[in-house]
Amino acid sequence: MNFFIKAGLFVILLLFTVSIFLPTKEKRQFSDKELREVALSRNMSSTPATYKDLLKLVDTPQNKLTKSRVDLGRDLYHDTILSKNKDISCATCHVLSKDQNKKNKFLELLTSKTNDKTDCVVCHLRDQSGTDRFETAVGHNGVKNQFHLNTLTTLNSALAKYQTWDGSVKTPEEQVGASIQDPYQMNLLASEAQQRLLEDEEYVKKFNLSYSSVNFENIKKAIGAYLRTLVTRSDYDRFLDGDDLAMSKKAKKGLANFLNFGCKGCHTGVTVGGQSIQKFPLRDYNSIVGVTNSYNESDKGREVSQFDLNGEFYHPYPFENKGGFMGKNGERLFRVPMLRNVTKTSPYFHNGAVAKLREAVFLMGKHQLGMNLTDEQIDEIVAFLKALEGDIVDYNIQESES
Amino acid sequence: MKNIHMKIYIILMFLSGVLQLSIFNISWEYFRMIQAIHIVSSAIVSVLLLVPYVNKHTYEFMIVKKAKSTSGVILGIVLFLIIVSGFYLFLVGNPGSDLLGMYSYYIHLYGSFVLMFFLFAHAKKKINPPQVSLLLAFVLVIASPTESLAKSSSKLTNIELEDGVDIYHNEDWTNSAKCKSCHTEIFNQWADSNHRHLVGTNPYYMVMETLAAEDKGEGFRKWCMGCHNPSAVTTGAEKTTHPMNDNSMPDVLFESGSKSLIDELKTHGNSRLEQGVSCITCHRITKTSSSGNSSYTLDITNRKKYALEDSNTDVERWLSEKFINANPKVHKESYSNTIYKTSAYCASCHDEFLPDSKKEVVSTFKEWEKSKYNNPNDKSKHKTCIDCHMTYLKDGKLSPLKGTSTTGGTIKDDIKVHYFAGSNHFLSGLKNKTNEDQTIQLLRTSAELDVDIKDGKVLVGVKNVGAGHHLPTGVSDFRELWLDITLYDKDSNIVFSSGKLKSDGNLDKDARPFMKVFGDENSKPVGLLFWRYKKLLSDTRIKSGERRVEIFDIPNAGNLKYPLKIDVKLNFRIYPQWVTDAVKRAYPQLPNPPVVLLERIEADYDNSIKPK
Repeated sequence: MNFFIKAGLFVILLLFTVSIFLPTKEKRQFSDKELREVALSRNMSSTPATYKDLLKLVDTPQNKLTKSRVDLGRDLYHDTILSKNKDISCATCHVLSKDQNKKNKFLELLTSKTNDKTDCVVCHLRDQSGTDRFETAVGHNGVKNQFHLNTLTTLNSALAKYQTWDGSVKTPEEQVGASIQDPYQMNLLASEAQQRLLEDEEYVKKFNLSYSSVNFENIKKAIGAYLRTLVTRSDYDRFLDGDDLAMSKKAKKGLANFLNFGCKGCHTGVTVGGQSIQKFPLRDYNSIVGVTNSYNESDKGREVSQFDLNGEFYHPYPFENKGGFMGKNGERLFRVPMLRNVTKTSPYFHNGAVAKLREAVFLMGKHQLGMNLTDEQIDEIVAFLKALEGDIVDYNIQESES
Repeated sequence: MKNIHMKIYIILMFLSGVLQLSIFNISWEYFRMIQAIHIVSSAIVSVLLLVPYVNKHTYEFMIVKKAKSTSGVILGIVLFLIIVSGFYLFLVGNPGSDLLGMYSYYIHLYGSFVLMFFLFAHAKKKINPPQVSLLLAFVLVIASPTESLAKSSSKLTNIELEDGVDIYHNEDWTNSAKCKSCHTEIFNQWADSNHRHLVGTNPYYMVMETLAAEDKGEGFRKWCMGCHNPSAVTTGAEKTTHPMNDNSMPDVLFESGSKSLIDELKTHGNSRLEQGVSCITCHRITKTSSSGNSSYTLDITNRKKYALEDSNTDVERWLSEKFINANPKVHKESYSNTIYKTSAYCASCHDEFLPDSKKEVVSTFKEWEKSKYNNPNDKSKHKTCIDCHMTYLKDGKLSPLKGTSTTGGTIKDDIKVHYFAGSNHFLSGLKNKTNEDQTIQLLRTSAELDVDIKDGKVLVGVKNVGAGHHLPTGVSDFRELWLDITLYDKDSNIVFSSGKLKSDGNLDKDARPFMKVFGDENSKPVGLLFWRYKKLLSDTRIKSGERRVEIFDIPNAGNLKYPLKIDVKLNFRIYPQWVTDAVKRAYPQLPNPPVVLLERIEADYDNSIKPK
């Protein structure tokens, strides 16, 4: 009996002193220049500022970008003709306004005599978020997504290596085709879509001009072409391009944290995410004791700081498992979400169960990195995430040789 | 050796209790911990160890051995009293009005000294008269200077200005729903009041903030949020958000008691805090001025919290409430301040300025300063904001409500009610009829009407008799106060009318609303975009105490068929129809605000006889 008490005491003492024995990683301080260099060396990069650079990044031989193709794609994106009931368009859920440069959209919607927008959109059209801000997607006949999956933004989506939450789709064109035919989305058969457009003289003309003929493949390509131009530029891009003053001090600290803590391991590439498929949550904390460490500001680096006693029942996610979606192959494998414009695409995670960005950052720190981020560290990371928010670039596409 | 253990327990409990005395004035961080430890460990020790031991001990010596020990008997009785009073303090507390709670507090406090005396006397197994008198003297010395105790503890309320903090975190704030369990009445009043519904639950505000952001840039939202959304703006949020429940906005327009706020606390803890002017906002303002927008000083982090007060789990929260209730003095002092009674306190938000031009959009406090109610030399005539806006109304009169602000608290003669009756009866009225009724009663105390017909003209006098500011005040560019006049001739035909509503709900052009009209630099009315205000186009509001006479010409006055009958109404509508129409685009479920009749006068006129 006595032995067990002593052994228990020893273990507890050991647990509390383990931080002393753990190696601490020297924390790296960055100057602006170093910060930029490190970010660029870690495969992070800015979005193109010119159409020429955009073409380098997104143009494919299968779907060469031209002005007429992008214009056609924009028309189709905002047209309800591609939904079974002719009541929703791509832009219903992936909310964007057709005319990006229009000022005073909101005032116009409030005071116009006719208002065809639904109540939420009246305010949220201003977000230009490419998503609906709902927890879960709503499609044909107002039916909610069967897995309670959150609508992903169309902004920058063409730059990602994988589409959708489980990463099963590779190209925007493929995703367009799936969305039009999905019974939970627009629920329109490919043949029916083709037929409808063939009956519309305007569209036939436009298709003949840009793709030679109306068929479902070309519908996908046209909208894909438009999606490939939906690229945003933000303070972060200007910083990477050499403007030291583009990001606030706090945001830079956030970027340093982002690099130091290891967020960049997955959220990388030009889209700051969307380039790989990873497991979530990495750490379960379903055991009785959960040990997490923190990144100490004053000391050198990471330290074991907290023992959480966990008396809860087994839970696959650190939030409500609405919809029961378990990722790719049911193994909790998810496409790493893109963090560009994350500040305007709440709620968070695949089922939208987390409303606030700060909480999402905290959960990612705890479950993916095994760190208890402090309030200040979360502040800084959130400031960095805000610096990722940007407007859609007007590339002023000109008709070139075809 | 067992009884030495018991003595050590008792002495430890005594010491941890005594340390909480205000004369020791220990720092709050230690105090709250010591209090929690004292309460919890004493409860456990007394139930599990002390009582069984005393039982056994008494049985052994008094029943079996038939020993006689006066000190033992007294010790037992005192111990019993202390344990009972301690449990009473723990479970019921000493919130103020409860006499038993007060007795418990004093028994527990002074009794513990008595207990210590008899503990040692019992150990020596004898007591002598000099010792008893010494003890009595000691108790009297301790017991008598209760004032001195109170005075030295006032240091706990020396609230310091918060410097060095540039941003709060959500954890620093307290969701108002937490206050409900003890301040139920006050919480319920506030929960449906306009101070609560300033942000995500107020359609007009949400639309206006978004519009301001579109017109002046996203950063401009802070101008609105400074007063409307203090918790968000101080935690670095850049815009106001509304709650969501799955895919839909909870029905916050018609829901009473802020049910969704209470649910939010349960499910999201402190992660969602946007609740307008919350309990903490007002009760932790330390300094105010009327020199600019939201010019108040907050001090959230320096407040004295009892152990576990921040916790969101049920058990811990229950415990923290018990800790507060057992000795609520520090809690009370943490959330009260004499500046609440001054009108200047409200000025930091109820005087509004445009940030660029410093032009005054709202100047309710400045209007009050010039009114007769600002009379600090004559206390009987001096009336501050809370004398009207936080005093209960009954039968159309201000009638101070006798009651308690805390469940089981001290009975006060004039409870400051938190309906915040002002002029917006509409949004609070959708939720709660009492809140609406309080506001409408207050509105109806503001003006008096008189009417006369002379030389073919209708003369209507409107006197601002009740308000210590203009009528209307506040956002008076979005308020409608006007005269609705109907004049009938002998055959009941309408020969003149003014101030009717058009079929689209808007006020007819001929109406003369008492209001402010803002114009832009080209003297064009600014409409919804009031932040574009550059030139004041008109200000027809009625000053405090002023009697305004409106004169209307009767058409064809020579051929009137007497006797005439006139019906004059003073009407009020919180938002013009065109404002509501715009807001309804984003919030289709919003009803139209009703027209409220404030005063009405009817009179008959013969050509010779003076009006009745």
